[in-house]
Formats: sequence, C-alpha cells, structure tokens
Amino acid sequence: MDNIKLQLKEQIIKQLNLENVSVDDISDDMPLFGEGLGLDSIDALELIVLMENNYNIKLLNPEEGKEVFQSINSMAAYISKHQQ
Amino acid sequence: MKINITGIGIISAIGLNVQENFQSLQTKTSGIKNNTNFSEKRNLLLGQVTLSNKELIHLLNVNTPISRTSLLGLVAAKEAWGNNQIHQSIRTGIISSTSVGGMDRSEEYYKNKIEGNDADISLIVTHDNGNTTEKIATSLGISGYVNTLSTACSSAANAIMLGARLIQQNKLDRVLVGGVDSLTNFTIEGFKSLMIYDDEWVKPFDQNRKGLNLGEGAGFLLLENEKSIEQTNNKPLAELTGWSNASDAYHQTASSPDGKGATKAIRDALNMAKLNPEEVSYVNAHGTGTPNNDLSESVALKNIFKTKIPPFSSTKAYTGHTLAASGAIEAVFSVLALQYNVIFPNLNFTTPITETQLEPEIEYVTNKQVNIVLSNSFGFGGNNSTLIFKKL
Amino acid sequence: MYFINACSTISHQHSFQNEEWIMHLKSLNNNSTLVSPEYKNFIDGGSLRRMSEILRMGLACSKDCITQSGINNPDAIIVGTGLGCLTDTEKFLKNAITIKGLIPPTSFIQSTHNTIAGQISLTLKNYNYNMTHTQNSVSFEHALIDAMLSLNESKSNVLVGAADEKIDFMEELARELHFSEIENKLTSGASFFILSNSQNSTTKAKLVDSCAIGLNAAPNEEVVANFLKNNHLLLSDVDLVLFSTYGTQKTEEVNKLFHPIPILSIEDYSGYHFTTAAFGMHLATEILNQKDNFLISNTTPIKKILVYNNLGNKSIGLTLLQSIEA
Repeated sequence: MDNIKLQLKEQIIKQLNLENVSVDDISDDMPLFGEGLGLDSIDALELIVLMENNYNIKLLNPEEGKEVFQSINSMAAYISKHQQ
Repeated sequence: MKINITGIGIISAIGLNVQENFQSLQTKTSGIKNNTNFSEKRNLLLGQVTLSNKELIHLLNVNTPISRTSLLGLVAAKEAWGNNQIHQSIRTGIISSTSVGGMDRSEEYYKNKIEGNDADISLIVTHDNGNTTEKIATSLGISGYVNTLSTACSSAANAIMLGARLIQQNKLDRVLVGGVDSLTNFTIEGFKSLMIYDDEWVKPFDQNRKGLNLGEGAGFLLLENEKSIEQTNNKPLAELTGWSNASDAYHQTASSPDGKGATKAIRDALNMAKLNPEEVSYVNAHGTGTPNNDLSESVALKNIFKTKIPPFSSTKAYTGHTLAASGAIEAVFSVLALQYNVIFPNLNFTTPITETQLEPEIEYVTNKQVNIVLSNSFGFGGNNSTLIFKKL
Repeated sequence: MYFINACSTISHQHSFQNEEWIMHLKSLNNNSTLVSPEYKNFIDGGSLRRMSEILRMGLACSKDCITQSGINNPDAIIVGTGLGCLTDTEKFLKNAITIKGLIPPTSFIQSTHNTIAGQISLTLKNYNYNMTHTQNSVSFEHALIDAMLSLNESKSNVLVGAADEKIDFMEELARELHFSEIENKLTSGASFFILSNSQNSTTKAKLVDSCAIGLNAAPNEEVVANFLKNNHLLLSDVDLVLFSTYGTQKTEEVNKLFHPIPILSIEDYSGYHFTTAAFGMHLATEILNQKDNFLISNTTPIKKILVYNNLGNKSIGLTLLQSIEA
C-alpha cells in the first residue's frame, strides 16, 4: 500500500506539472482539492486519465471521482480494491 | 441608427441552405447521426454536413488548397451575400469567426509527419484562422475590412456584434458577419477528454443530460445601414437591436453556478435595446446539453425573467454544437422565428433540471406573435454573448 | 485621439519593466533568446504550472500594465494573436494522434485562441467585454481598432495587446515553405497597453489612429496616403517609420516608399511572429519619449511615428502615434 502511495505522489506531481511540490509535501491524508494541495476540476479530469493509463481503472465522470480523489489514502485504497 | 439584417445564409447538419434548415426545424428532423467520416470514432453521434469536401469544391467551383472550414463558410456566406455587388460608395467588410480554422487539414499533415510518412506541405498553408476568412472574402470580392474573431462558442455572436458596432460608428455601411467550424479529430477528442460528450443524443435542459454532441456548419448575416439599403434596395428581414458581451471570470471552462456572466450579458443587451424582460417573445438558448451550461444558463434566465420566463429552446439537438458557428446559425434561426412568427422546439426534453425546474418549449409553435427574439452564446473561458433581434 | 497610459513587452530585448530598454537594443542574432521575467512574481503557482509561454507572457504584461496605470478594472480586454496557443495545440494534437485511451484534457482547454484573454479576465476578476482577434499579420491592428471603438462607446480604459508564440515545429515548416530569410529568426513575444480616453500622469504617448487593410490590391503608397489623409496629414508630417516586412526586396520597397523619412526595421529587434506590430507600437512609444534621437541620424525632434506593417502578403496594418507635446 505504501508503495502505491509513493508512486501516486510521484505520478500526480508529474501529470499535474506541480513544479514546486515534492513527494514530502503531500501528506497521505491531506485534502487534494480545495484547501490542502489546491487542485481544481481540470486536475480532476487529469486524475481520471492517470487512473486509467497507470492503473487500468475506468472512472466514468468527474462525479465518480469526487469520493475517490479526496486524498492519497482514498486513492490508494480505491486502486488496491479495483486495479485490473 | 438601425442595424438592418438583409441577408441570411446557413449550412448545417439539417440543411444546405436556409430553406432546408427551416424545413427540418419545422418537422423536428435532427441531423445528428452516427458518424460516417471519422473512422476511428465508432458510435459517436455527430451533426455532420452531408457534403464531402470534394462535393463542396465542385459545388463552389473554388481553387484549392482550401479547408473544409472555408468551404462551409463560403456556402453560407454566398447565400447571405446573394446578388450584392461591390460598389465604391458602399463601405463593405467581412467578419468571420472560427475555432478550428484549417485544423481539418493541418491535423492530417501533422499525423503523417509524426508517423514518418510523406506529408503534403500544402495541407498546412490553410491553417490560420485569418486565412479561412480571406478565402471567403476573395471569393466574394470583399477587401478592406477583413477580420476573424475566435472566442470559442460565442465567436459568431461576437462577429455579429462587432459588425453592428462598426456600422453604428460609421466605419462601414455593409458587413457580412458570421462564423464557421468544421468537424475535426482535434475537437472531437478534445470534448471527449473533457468528459462532456454524450454518447447518446443530446438532451438540452433535461435533468438527465450528459453532455453535448458536436456539429459543424456555418451561418452568415448581411448587416446594412440605411445609406447602404438606399443603394442596394435590399429588403430588411429583421433588425439587430441589442447586443452585449460579458465575462464570467469564474473558471477556464466551466460557467459559474450563479450564472453571473450570462446574467450580465442578457441584462446589458436588454438595456441596450431599451426592452423590459416581458417584451421578449422567445429565447433561443445556448443549451449545449452539458450539465454545467444548462444549469448556469437556467439560473441566468431566472435571474433576468424571474417567474415569467418566455418560451425558450435550444436547437442544438437538431444541429449539434457547431462551436464558433453556433451564434450565427442560431441568429439565422432567430430571424426565421421573427419572419414567420414561429418558435422552434427543444428536442429530447422530458424532465426539468431539479435545481431550476424550467421547462423549454417542446412543440413547434405557430400561433404566437413573435416580435423580439433573444439569442445566447456562451463560450469556453467564460465568454458570454447575447444578441437581440426585433421584428420590423 | 487616445492615450497610451501603460506599455509592457516581453521580447528578445530586455524590455520588460525596464525603462531604459531602448538604449540597449540589440539586433536579433541566431543565439538570442526570449528574455522572460520571473513569472511566479506575477502568477500564482497553481495557475502557473499549467501555463504555456504565451499565457505567461500575456498575463505578466497585463498585470504590469495594471500596476503602471493603476487601472485595476479595465472596461474591456482585447487581444490579438496570429496563431494562438501553439504549444498546447501541438501537445493536444500529438496526444490525440498517439494516445489510444483517455487523453489528458488540459492542453485542449488551453489551445483555444481566446485562452489568453480569458485567463487575463479570470485573473483580474474582470466581467467586462473580452475579445480575441485572429487575422494573422494584422491581428493586433484589429484589436486596436476594436479598442478604439470601445473607447468611443463611453468606455474609459481598455487593456489591449497581442501575443504569439514560436514552437520548434515552425522552423521546420519555414524551411519546407522556403521562408529561408526568417527561418532562424522566428520568435515569441507579447506587448500590452492601457489605452484611455483621458491623459494623466502615466500617459506616454497618443494613439492617433490604426487601420488594417486586407486583400489589398491598391499600391501601398496609396493606402498609406489615404490613411494619413483621413487623419488630416501628409507623408511629410511623419518623422519616423517603424516597419514590418521580410525579404530584401520588400525592404527596398519600404525605403523607396518613405524616402527621405528615416525607417527602422521592427523585426531587427523583435524577430518574426504575426503580431510584431504591437512591439512596434511599444518601441514607437519609447522613442517618442526620448529627448535624444540615438536610433536614427535625425536632428529634428520625433513627434509622429508611423508603424507600417506589411508582414502579410496582401494585408497592410498602419498605426499612427504622436508624442504628448505634439
């Protein structure tokens, strides 16, 4: 699980071009959207792409993504459960 | 100073000219079908114009290279221009608008390049937006004020507005205004990547709407001042009596949930036309079928019209969302509504949006007096435009 | 008559936030690069991370203009761009062709031509008129014309500018299309201005008029003469011409057209992109504010400058500027 979390942080930094953020800056339970990492709805779409391309998990729309993308913890948990 | 509309032209998935489009609107005949040209995109509903590039080139008898965008534009522009001639004494211009420009050909060039195949360089020379308009202007003999706007889905409405302002400030007497966009892999993939492409037939203003269906086409209007009409003897079809452009400043793609920019655009246009909301007979809505737009637009309509919402409909379930062309295509529909005292139906509506409970007109209405039509075009980047047309 | 109350340019010169920039102009060579400011001083990290060069330039120049003029809420934001957001267009195009599954959407969102103007309005929280003109080599002049129309309509201050960006792919294309003279001189650049109806302490020069003639069939001398005549002027009233064109032959034509008025090439300093006329307007503004004429061997004071844009084959852009005292 910890592997996934570290991997996720690296992938997120890369995909979203978070130039000044390092993996240490993203804590596992930090809210990713709004306060916290401050991602927005465009990032949500990018994360859906990330889930499909890196983990083969298809999310149908941004609404589905809301719960899943709350934090690194929730993303990692979802991936563990659903990864193909 | 009166802005007279003396010519209209249109090509879309529901017809190759004004008459054909009108007929389709009356008979609830949509042009949205499973795609036939974009071979990799199976099961994609698109509003394609039913002529190939080859057929368009033959029909128009034009020189190549030329993009599909220019071809579609030329069909509609020619129809609006009609038998008008260039005169020294009538200061004439053209303002078109587009978001894809010559991308239909450029993307073919680029694909060949990166796949390591031979790439025909002439495919790239039609790329830029301005070139698209120049091809149309050259064909009609218009020179001087030749301009192109690009503000995504509000483009053509803005072109119409700019033309009116140039006439109002006595810079031009007569101006051909409109917009064009052709279907491209670029835009199809783009809207799919945003997850706002409905894989079913679009349902504007319905609670269960899932997104848009793309379309292509062109719309043009000919605007003239009194001085020009005295010389051309053209018969005015309607008057453009109000316009406005406002920004949402909310998000790069989404419209604000409180419909701020849309409300401002509608309000400012009504103020300019010196109209009370009750005087509007029909609203041709932007109504793309995306969860976001239709809610935002509904909120704006309620902000302005309160409990007395006039009959309104989106015609995008007929034509698809024609992006830059939509403002002009729908302007032509608005003129037809005034000319014939009709209101076009909003197809595919069954359930009102929960938050706003508005119900669009679902029938083709022929028994109401239509004196004022308000047309909305709201684009990416929060660019909101409203036009108001008046019966003469 | 309109007043230029702020100017800001990002270019291959040290033009950004540098009052002395025209004292150190260097002709473009193959090694020159875009001189960019520290963008994070102007744009928050969250937005900056996504932005291509053209968006960064447009936003930084706009903010600089706002600071210079003190006009926080312009009545209109009008942008001219010849080719729009090429970096994002190419990125999405490449992805659309090569990726079989889901495609990341950000570059599509930012590929539309009006992203520049849209991003500016978003950042300034500006709800007013917002327009993007894309008429290749005369995109900036059309933006200026729209700005002048707006000021005539009881708007007081307009943020107007232009931006274009170069991508490597363009060099390849220039080669294939046999534009050998400019292939190594393609550049990115942005210039923004606050144009106003009233003069104040920040006014740097006056904008008399601008026009854009498309698909021109008349001799260029005639077009210039008519433009000046409409402004009650003759060619001999112009003290300096800043010109845009390419090719030795066309440059000779410019010389002949305007002789004996001194001429200065814009592209010598800006490099080539569709909207270099905007750079020209900023350069002209600075020259009008210089007490000594060191750029040209002219002894009379420079009061009127014509920016002559013949970059496009059949389009001509003309912009006339005047010093505050004139």
